[in-house]
Amino acid sequence: MKITFPHMGNVYLAVKALFDGLGIDYVIPPKNSKKTLEIGSLHSPEELCLPYKIMIGNYVQAAEMGANTILITGSCGPCRFGEYCEMQMNLLNNLGYNFKFIVIDAPGDIGVTELFNRIAEISTKSKMPKHKKFQCVKYALDVINLADKLDAKAHWLAGYERNRGECKKLLHACKREAIKCTNPKDMINVLKDYEKKFDNVELDHAKDPVKIAIIGEIYTVIEPFSNLYIEDKLMSYGVSTRRELTPSWWVKNMAMSPTRLNSLDLKRHSKEYLGLEIGGHARECIGEAVMAHEDGFDGAIQIFPMGCMPEIVSKAILPRISKDKNFPIMTLVVDEMTGEAGYVTRIEAFLDLLERRKEHVLSGS
Amino acid sequence: MYYLGVDVGSVSTDLIVMDEKLNVKDKIYLRTRGRPIQVIQEGFKLLREKYKDGEILACGTTGSGRHIAATLIGADAVKNEITAHSTAALEMDRDVRTIIEIGGQDSKIIILRDGIVVEFAMNTVCATGTGSFRDGQAERHDIPIEEFGDYALKATTPVRIAGRCAVFAESDMIHKQQLGYNEADIIGGLCEALVRNYLNNIGKGKEILPKVFFQGGVAANKGIKKAFEDALGFEVIVPEYYDMMGAIGAAIIARNTVRKTGRTNFKGFGLAESTFASKSFECTGCPNCCEVVRIYENERAIGCFGDRCGKWNTRLSVQTIA
Repeated sequence: MKITFPHMGNVYLAVKALFDGLGIDYVIPPKNSKKTLEIGSLHSPEELCLPYKIMIGNYVQAAEMGANTILITGSCGPCRFGEYCEMQMNLLNNLGYNFKFIVIDAPGDIGVTELFNRIAEISTKSKMPKHKKFQCVKYALDVINLADKLDAKAHWLAGYERNRGECKKLLHACKREAIKCTNPKDMINVLKDYEKKFDNVELDHAKDPVKIAIIGEIYTVIEPFSNLYIEDKLMSYGVSTRRELTPSWWVKNMAMSPTRLNSLDLKRHSKEYLGLEIGGHARECIGEAVMAHEDGFDGAIQIFPMGCMPEIVSKAILPRISKDKNFPIMTLVVDEMTGEAGYVTRIEAFLDLLERRKEHVLSGS
Repeated sequence: MYYLGVDVGSVSTDLIVMDEKLNVKDKIYLRTRGRPIQVIQEGFKLLREKYKDGEILACGTTGSGRHIAATLIGADAVKNEITAHSTAALEMDRDVRTIIEIGGQDSKIIILRDGIVVEFAMNTVCATGTGSFRDGQAERHDIPIEEFGDYALKATTPVRIAGRCAVFAESDMIHKQQLGYNEADIIGGLCEALVRNYLNNIGKGKEILPKVFFQGGVAANKGIKKAFEDALGFEVIVPEYYDMMGAIGAAIIARNTVRKTGRTNFKGFGLAESTFASKSFECTGCPNCCEVVRIYENERAIGCFGDRCGKWNTRLSVQTIA
């Protein structure tokens, strides 16, 4: 058995740490690229959303490297992602690939026994004693938490750094070094080293950078390739950004969901505009927009893949929030046709808008 | 002493020279024809006869080719079209509250309040109604594009045309022609369809209040202007230099930048004589495989585009937001 999995932000680091620790054979698909998307678009139904296409590209590229088992998370939730695993199984079958799928669903949907059965399919492949296995899971969680924390730090400090581009450079160096590690402990140490390095970045606290919240559909906000590296772009412009949705948030949210105590602040803040769970992360998107305004942000950018049902609903609600709170929100829709020139023009114009507003308020004119 | 603005768009490249009081001294309108470098050189050849390098106090670029243009001429400011257009409009009239801008392949709406941009939108998946489409239609009807608008004004009962998609709009027009409707009514109908499409798409949910400025190449079309006025119920103003607003905005922004920095980066009109070449290659540094383009002026590399990580060029990405 050679396991692979689709890319999504920092997930590959955590999965690498987990399988390195467990001593299980795995393949990390090549980083998402135009090639990945080309392969995915070629095989996928045209109307399907962007994440599906990129994931298909990941599988095909991983198969070329010898993978024969796919590990993904499922969701029986009311958005197309809930059907991804079934459709992808079919599609890959029709293409002649012989993949085994292991789908990790929430225990509420498939039952605790079934969940453990599915996990056992992987864990029994490891010869480690049980307590070591738990330790590996703990390491993987540490990795994802640390990696997401570093992302957040870099994205925020980019607005305050004295030497333009330092945070971006440091973050990329960190990822490059982390992926070279061959055991989870080393990786954690690398990440911790870089955490210290971020603390030593020279900052200019007198700066008052434009602050933007990145909100919207979970895959397209997390996976940089799918949003044309918007966070990298904003870092080079010297903008501070914040994004609530991360793989580590997702893990925490899933683990807490049976208690209904998950993401209470987001639920509370979305209540006025969207009191119901409508699938995907529409409610989170609304909550984040309101929270960003309360936290003194200058604006928000919503990103979602073309045709994303839950986010279309939130897109219709956001102008209301924008008007009520006098808070600029721009929506960017991405798919494989997205042209970078128009995309960049919109981002730059939005930054100009936020800057002018800022100056206007400060000068009181 | 003058300010220079360059707007390299998909269809046209505009150059503007303004004096220190922002009066337009010279305007040059050239077709880009997919060759931005040559077109800028062509424009500079014309300007070189009238102006000296030292007389240019500041220069700015905008439009989809703004980055390449900036590298070429040594721009002091590189700005997106939305900011450039609104800067130019506000310079002419502080009270403008809506800008409708329709260019070669883009259409935009910019909402301003109290002299600042508060909201904007751009066409995403559809280019019906932009200059390129209209060019094609004018050609098909064998009417010079300059007279296209006048035909619309002659319409007595404009025909209803499906304006959602450029190709279907064309099919519908052919269908109506074959039914025997007269040309003026069809062109009039087309103008109305395009305005309807604009207002339903880009203008959706936007509060369009007067004064409305109508800018970009398509503003030359009187039929569209009238169709906008009919749909909105108030006057739509087409400013004198409607087709130069981007370039004017770039020049004004460059002036403001130079006021802060104290000196211009302008490389001079001599580039009209230089030989430019571009070489592209695929970077193999990571799986991203960026297609990098390098521009050479007289065999000296002056700029790089297309790399995401900034390995080949960090300078430009930092320069874009001044």
